[in-house]
Amino acid sequence: MKLVDCARVIRSKNAGPTTLTLDLMFEDDRRFRLAQASPALTPAALAPLYGVPAASVHVIAYAPAFAIKIVLPRTTIAGDPGDRDVYGAQQHGPLLGVEL
Amino acid sequence: MSRATHLDRLRERLVKGGRRAPFLALSGSGQLGNGVLETAFRAGLERRPHSIGADMGSVDPGPNYLGSGRMAASDTIARQDLALLLEGARAYDIPLLVGSAGTAGARPHLDHTLDLVRAIARERGLHFRLASIAADMPREVVKAAIRRGEVTSIGAIGALTEADVDAASHLVGQMGIEAFQRALAMGADVVIAGRACDTAVFSAIPAALGYPIGPAMHMAKIIECCSIACMPGGRDAALGTLDDLGFTMESLNPARHATPLSVAAHSLYEQADPYTVSEPEGTLHVEDARYTALDEHRCRVEGALWVPAARPSVKIEGATRVGERALLLAGCADPAAIARIKVILPEVEQVVRGIVAGDYRMYFRVYGIDGVVDWPMPPASPPREIFILGEVIADTTDLAKAATTVLKQYLLHHGFPGRVSTAGNVAFPITPPEVQTGTAYRFSAYHVMQVDALEPLFPVAIEDV
Repeated sequence: MKLVDCARVIRSKNAGPTTLTLDLMFEDDRRFRLAQASPALTPAALAPLYGVPAASVHVIAYAPAFAIKIVLPRTTIAGDPGDRDVYGAQQHGPLLGVEL
Repeated sequence: MSRATHLDRLRERLVKGGRRAPFLALSGSGQLGNGVLETAFRAGLERRPHSIGADMGSVDPGPNYLGSGRMAASDTIARQDLALLLEGARAYDIPLLVGSAGTAGARPHLDHTLDLVRAIARERGLHFRLASIAADMPREVVKAAIRRGEVTSIGAIGALTEADVDAASHLVGQMGIEAFQRALAMGADVVIAGRACDTAVFSAIPAALGYPIGPAMHMAKIIECCSIACMPGGRDAALGTLDDLGFTMESLNPARHATPLSVAAHSLYEQADPYTVSEPEGTLHVEDARYTALDEHRCRVEGALWVPAARPSVKIEGATRVGERALLLAGCADPAAIARIKVILPEVEQVVRGIVAGDYRMYFRVYGIDGVVDWPMPPASPPREIFILGEVIADTTDLAKAATTVLKQYLLHHGFPGRVSTAGNVAFPITPPEVQTGTAYRFSAYHVMQVDALEPLFPVAIEDV
C-alpha cells in the first residue's frame, strides 16, 4: 500500500530555521498502527529520500492524533542564499512514493 | 494614588476562597497584520474575555525581516488589525498583549509598531497605559555567555561565535511570561512586546493569577494560531476557557470545530518534538494530555504538566547581511536544452566568471527538475518545460547586476551539442528579466542561551497615551 493512499495528511514545515518536520496523520488507529510497523518509515529507509545521514533522522509516533512525525535537519538553513523552500512547506514530495 | 492593575482586578473577580472561576482567553490573531477576521473577533468580545492576546511575528518568513528591521505585513493591514484589537480591548477594558511586534520583534520593529499604536490612539481618541518590552539582546551579555559555554545550537547550525554576535544586524531573544507579568504589574492596559514566545501572550495573565501553568501553557500553544487547530482549519479568532484542571478550546467561527483529533494534531504543528515545548521558565509536557469532545464544536484538554527550569534560558535569533541580491527569471521549452540543463548552467557560469571579475556567488533552481526539493535522484522522465531562477549574491548592487545581466545574455546564446534552437535557449517572461531585490540576509544565530535572570534582558517602558 502506498503511504499517500493510507495517510489523511502528509505535510512538511520548518520547526525553526534549522529543522524540517514532516507529519503523517492517519484516519484511524488501524492505519496508524500499519504505518508505524512499516520498515519504510524508519530513519534508515527515509534518509536516502532526503540525502541526509540516517543518524540525523528521527521518527516519533504520536498516538493521540494517529500521527507519525519525521524530523530531519535542513540541509540549507531557511532563507540562506540558494534555499529552495523558506517555510519548508513543500518538502513532502519524496514521501508520496513511499510504499508501506 | 496608584490605580489597581488588571492583575489585581482580575484576581478580585476570579479568585475567591482559593478557588478560581474559569478564565477566558481570546486569541485575536496568530499573525497580526495579515488581516483579522472581524466577525469571529467580535463574537469573541461578546463573551467578555479576561484577556486578549495576539502574535505578530515569527521566524518562519526568513531572515530578511530580522536583518533589515522591516515588517513583513503591510502598514495598511497592520494598522487595521491593531485598531480592531485596540478598540475592542479598550471598549471593555480588557488587557491586550501583543507579542513579536512587527514580524521579527527587534527595536525597529517594536518602534514601528508603537508608532502605529500611538497613531491609532490619537485618531480614535483612545486613552490607555501602554507598555513596551524590548527584546534586543545586549551583545556583551551574549558574548560573555559564549565564553562561559552557555550558548548552544538549535539543530543544524554551527556554534555561535563572538564574531557572529558582532556581525548580526539585529539580535533578539524570545521573552516568556515573566516580562509580560512585569509590564502588567506596572499597570499596563496594552503591552506591545518585541520578540516573544508565541505562548506568552496567552499564558502570562492566568499564570500570574495562580492557574496551573501546565494547562495554561498548553491552552496558549493550542489557541496561538487561532482556528488552525480546528476542522476545517482557519484563521478566525479562538477562545480558550481555563480552569484548575484543564481548558476548553473553541473557534469563534461556528463552522470550525475543535475536535479531539484536530486539537491533538496541533500539538505536532511546527514542533520538532510533539511531547514537549521549551519555554524560558520551564518545559511543557503533553505526553499525558487527554483530548475529549464536549460537543461537536468544543474540545476539552486536561493533563499537561509544567516542569520549571532549574535555570532560565532564552532562545536567541540573529540575522546577518550576506550581500546584495539580484535574480534572473527565465523559462525553457526546448527538449535538448532541458536534457542538458544541469551541464549548461555551470558552463555558462564559467563564462560569466571569465567576463565579470570580483567575488560573487551564483545559485540556480530549475523548476521542473529541482526547484522546490533537492531530490537526490533526477526525474524519471524530463519535464516539457522548466523555469530557471538564477540568484546572484555580491557585495555591491552593481556587481550583482553585472553578473546577472551577463548571465542572461550568455545563457540565451550558449552553444551546446545537439542545439537546434539557435536563436535563443530561454524565454524571458518579463522585461527586464533581471530583478534586484536588495540586501540579502541569513540567520546567523538560532541558539539557546542560559541566563541567571530574565528581567534585565527584557526592559519595560511605560507611557500613558
